Amino acid sequence: MLEVAFVAFWMAMALYAAATVLYAYHVATKRAALSWYATFATGAGFLLQTASIGLRSSATEGTELTGSNVLVLMAWALILVYFVLEHVIKRKVYGTLLVPSALVLMLIAQIGGLSSNVLSELTPEHAALLDNWRVGIHVALIAFANAGFLISAVSSLLYLVLERQLKARKTSKLFSRLPSLAQTDTIARRSVVWAFPAYTAGMMLGALRAIETDVQLWWADPRVVLSGLVWLAFAGYQFLRWRVGWGGRKAAYLSLAGFVLVVVLAVVARTVPSGFHIFGL
Amino acid sequence: MHLVLIGLSHKTAPVAIREKLTFPATVQQDALTQLKRLEQIAEAVIVSTCNRTEVYAVASGEDAGVEAVIDFLCDYHDLDRHELVRYLYIITGEAVVRHLFRVVASLDSMVIGEAQILGQVKEAYDHALNAGTTARAYNKLFRQSFEVGKRVRTETAIGESAVSISYAAVELAKKVFDTLDGRTILILGAGKMSELTAKHLVCNGVTRVLVANRTLSRAEEMADRFAGEAVAYERLYEAIAEADIVISSTAATEYVVTKTDLAPAVRHRNRPLFLIDIAVPRDIDPAVNGLGSVFLYDIDDLSGVVESNLEERMTEARRAEGIIEEEIAAFFAWAESMEVVPTVTAIRAKAEVIRQMELEKAMKRLDLSDKERKVVEALTCAIVNKMLHGPTARLKKAATGADGYLYVDVARALYGLEDSEDRRGPGMFRNLINQRAREIVEKQKETGDSFGDCGA
Repeated sequence: MLEVAFVAFWMAMALYAAATVLYAYHVATKRAALSWYATFATGAGFLLQTASIGLRSSATEGTELTGSNVLVLMAWALILVYFVLEHVIKRKVYGTLLVPSALVLMLIAQIGGLSSNVLSELTPEHAALLDNWRVGIHVALIAFANAGFLISAVSSLLYLVLERQLKARKTSKLFSRLPSLAQTDTIARRSVVWAFPAYTAGMMLGALRAIETDVQLWWADPRVVLSGLVWLAFAGYQFLRWRVGWGGRKAAYLSLAGFVLVVVLAVVARTVPSGFHIFGL
Repeated sequence: MHLVLIGLSHKTAPVAIREKLTFPATVQQDALTQLKRLEQIAEAVIVSTCNRTEVYAVASGEDAGVEAVIDFLCDYHDLDRHELVRYLYIITGEAVVRHLFRVVASLDSMVIGEAQILGQVKEAYDHALNAGTTARAYNKLFRQSFEVGKRVRTETAIGESAVSISYAAVELAKKVFDTLDGRTILILGAGKMSELTAKHLVCNGVTRVLVANRTLSRAEEMADRFAGEAVAYERLYEAIAEADIVISSTAATEYVVTKTDLAPAVRHRNRPLFLIDIAVPRDIDPAVNGLGSVFLYDIDDLSGVVESNLEERMTEARRAEGIIEEEIAAFFAWAESMEVVPTVTAIRAKAEVIRQMELEKAMKRLDLSDKERKVVEALTCAIVNKMLHGPTARLKKAATGADGYLYVDVARALYGLEDSEDRRGPGMFRNLINQRAREIVEKQKETGDSFGDCGA
């Protein structure tokens, strides 16, 4: 069963790669006919990935929340959220950036050599910590929240590119292919509106679990501190947008900064060995 | 089948002539019926728009067709023939197909890439269809031309971006705001150009119009035309703060909107402000473009946008020409099959195949001497030739008439010579025969042989 899961996984990656090329080609040439194939390849890849995750879980009797598996889950969540987004806004520009992002996550998970046999090296304390439904939901919520933050960052990036072009009064070919300024801004804002509560709930569940299992100094773990910073960044983003009336360029930079923190957190989580929080590693 | 096109367009005739030679929808039926009654004309379609009037006809001969159509135009509109001919272009044969495809693809339009022409040609074809003045040739040609139009629209970006100042403004506004529904515009000054741009914006969904002018009465006047509100000139910056889009075209010689005055108005703004300055000298200090969320475009910027869009259309037009070449080739592959000489050759080749096959079969059962064999061969040849001589001769004669290709069409159907693309039905044997017939034709072309080994 693991072999089947493995094959499905690589086929999903191949489909995502094909979808990326098709999305890019569609955006570059505006051939509507091809965009359908792009969505189709993404959808088929998503189904295969879902099957792969399911098969792997049943082979190992429950999803192991190892580092690479968490990355795969994040890619899965990203594609799912992207599908909803494409359906809502009926625009495929974002696909050229988001589908390859998922692909990269999956590639890192596969090739990055992230130790997949972590669970066998787990200490009994860690095993006890992980053995709870709260941990699964904690991981899922954070995965979806990170997908939301990524979408916000990508939209913000598009916003900045577009704004620069508008200010410079250049109408290149790229310019005519980009979505509108207002739309990128709205998507950046709304994806944080959705992702932030998920992130908060995920963090709370994690903290709850740590307190429950009497982890000493759980709040001093660098990963926990960093995730607190991510939370603060996006809390600040929300506050500045809704209360102070920030918008446009400043908000875009803030969203990008928040996402940089997410990336830093992910890298630290997988490289700094100390601390109770295993991040599956 | 002789294709003929007589017409005039904005390229060849001034409006004074074009307006005399129109065929509005109400007279199309009548005009087409009159045209069809001429013995030289087998099929006709009249395309009539404000920029062009073109009569497409299938005629018995090129010259005869041209003369007949010109006479018809002069009679119908009571025009002097010598004067009219100066403005007409006369196109015949293959060039008619290319011209029609280019017209439909909007490559021949005043504004390259405009979208209306396809609909107008469709309408013209519908009139002709209803009047019963089209048949096989033009049904095929016009339907294919619609495909050309569609392909050019979807496969190139020819009609994508705005090519006039006011549309460029609308397009940019949409790029900033996504949709203009529910947006507010402020018209500053009461120039014609700003009014036109405002009109386009209102058509695209802008709901609230504010007008500010140094003389309040003129502001009120214009506000009435847009069902908007006049704003006192002193309240200018308040109005800007409310607006999403500002169109400015005052006659002022100095900047009306300056950076120092605008900065406080947009400081706490979280939505973009799009400023369009179409006045010369300019009304808005270019430095305001440096303020966050403020986008300023002056008349030169807009012209720049239009120019680059036009350039893009030109490159797209070259791609469209490529599509047209492909479609022309496809059309002539079809048209060639409708010619009488290849049809007669194909009929004869097919008969020859049958003759040879039957002869072979019979020879296997007979044991004949060389002399006897030659006699039997000559016999079969004679039968085939005599059978075919009458029909092919009459077909050749009939094909010279205006609707000659109809005979060719029928002959192809009766002898089962349909093209491979619409070959269907009881098949394999017939396909095999057709295939062998084609092989023989090819061979004859290569060797220059006249007809098998019969020599008859």
